[in-house]
Amino acid sequence: MIIFDQVSKTYAGGHQALQKVSFNLEAGEMAFLTGHSGAGKSTLLKLISLMERPSAGKVFINSHDLSTVDSKQVPFVRRDIGMIFQNHRLLRDKTVFDNVALPLIIEACHSPKEIRKRVHASLDKVGLLDKVRYYPQMLSGGEQQRVGIARAVVTKPPILLADEPTGNLDPKLSMEIINLFEEFNSVGVSVLIATHDLGLIARMKYRTLTLKKGMMFNDGLNQLDGDEALS
Amino acid sequence: MSLLFNDRQSGANEKSVSLLQRIQGQLLGFIRQWLAALGEIWRDPIPSLLTIAVLGVSLTLPATLYVVVKNAELVEQSWDNASEISLFFKQDIKDKKQQAVIKQIELMSEVEGVHFISKQQALTEFENLSGFGDALKYLDSNPLPDVLIVTPQPDYANPSAAGELLTELEALKEIDFGKLDIEWLRRLEAVVSLIKDALFSVALLLVVSVILIVGNTIRLSIVNRKEEIEVLKLVGATDGFIHRPFLFTGVWYGFFGGVIAWIAIELMLLWISAAIDNLAQLYQTDFSLQGLSGGDMMYLLMLSMGLGLAGSYIVVKRQIKEIEPDAT
Repeated sequence: MIIFDQVSKTYAGGHQALQKVSFNLEAGEMAFLTGHSGAGKSTLLKLISLMERPSAGKVFINSHDLSTVDSKQVPFVRRDIGMIFQNHRLLRDKTVFDNVALPLIIEACHSPKEIRKRVHASLDKVGLLDKVRYYPQMLSGGEQQRVGIARAVVTKPPILLADEPTGNLDPKLSMEIINLFEEFNSVGVSVLIATHDLGLIARMKYRTLTLKKGMMFNDGLNQLDGDEALS
Repeated sequence: MSLLFNDRQSGANEKSVSLLQRIQGQLLGFIRQWLAALGEIWRDPIPSLLTIAVLGVSLTLPATLYVVVKNAELVEQSWDNASEISLFFKQDIKDKKQQAVIKQIELMSEVEGVHFISKQQALTEFENLSGFGDALKYLDSNPLPDVLIVTPQPDYANPSAAGELLTELEALKEIDFGKLDIEWLRRLEAVVSLIKDALFSVALLLVVSVILIVGNTIRLSIVNRKEEIEVLKLVGATDGFIHRPFLFTGVWYGFFGGVIAWIAIELMLLWISAAIDNLAQLYQTDFSLQGLSGGDMMYLLMLSMGLGLAGSYIVVKRQIKEIEPDAT
């Protein structure tokens, strides 16, 4: 589903964020992406969502070469990717409903009735159907994160990317969030979660991509390697 | 429509979306954004109100000048029969010769009609009107000349054309001299054309200022909503989708600015119409002040909305391009 082929990224100023990174995330696979701060996790996610372009190498999604996507087409690529952020990036002056409905409104081809149906379904899935009329700041951190997830999945994208989705949450809430990702994964969505929460990874038996200084240090199920990388 | 996934129709919609539904959705989206732009002004009215007030004042000035020019032209038009030309015949012209000249003038293409007043008629009229009736009897002969009143065709009734016609007629050897008493009309015309020129340059300056004011306000509101724009870009909004609310806001600013200008002009007219009526009475004319007609009003609003759109257009594209989302 997502293929990195010898991808390097050097930022203006010479900082080399990624060096010859290659991996293949299969359709319907769920994986963690880990590494120290500055190891290149965010850069890797940005390359998938086209916030950045690689300096060398190629990124493929569903065997489409992203280097052939011009800036006008970028929004349409992003519509196929559900993105979740550490600080959830909700619009403060919009209700939970409006926040979750945003991706549907952008697509501009749904009737208001269908939008309502889908938003409710999405919020129901994350267990926040009773908070439809609330504003984000009236919710707890975990709830806000779940609204962010509801927004990411409301269009039923085939790919979910999460950047430190449990960053500000305690272990119990983190587990709930990860369980939600598992649920989406079980219906065929490819999920890539960037996190440095090793305890969380240790409790799950999922493929873990470990970056170290911009290089792919380890790619596999073995947890110990990951620990070493961060020690 | 998905770029990367052929089987994924418009956001994994299970059933494909028909063209009609698409158009309907787009239209609905437009209306939604159009009203949302109004809602945005409503929610944070202070900066918008200031901008709208400035626009209103800026538009009032050229619109007022326009009203002045319009009324001045009205005055000019109501005096177009003033450009009558009085031709005075030389004394001792034979009747036959005189008739021929009158016929000749009447047939000129510039002339609409002529009215001959013989010296006898003129004397009688003078006797009746002046009250010197008895005194005039002591005159040996009638000192008044024969007069021909020439009314030019409407095309030749304006001061300059009528002036040329007068020169042409004065060249006839039977004519002593002619008189075109429209000097004051000439002056009025000069003043009106001065105001027109001033109107044009003032309007041009104010149009530019309106565009800049709207542009600056929109630029600030884009900066204030940076976060929202980033989120929109992250969830896959096209540039057009992000631009539209700001463009619509510019149009709304223009609309409200135009309404304010219109109200200001109506109030001003109300304020001075009493004085104008008084003045008109003194001149024994039934002149009444003309405000903006429905058509003028529409024109003003279209113009101000167009200016609002132009103002936002010049900043929106560049300003929003600068805002790029950051994943952290």
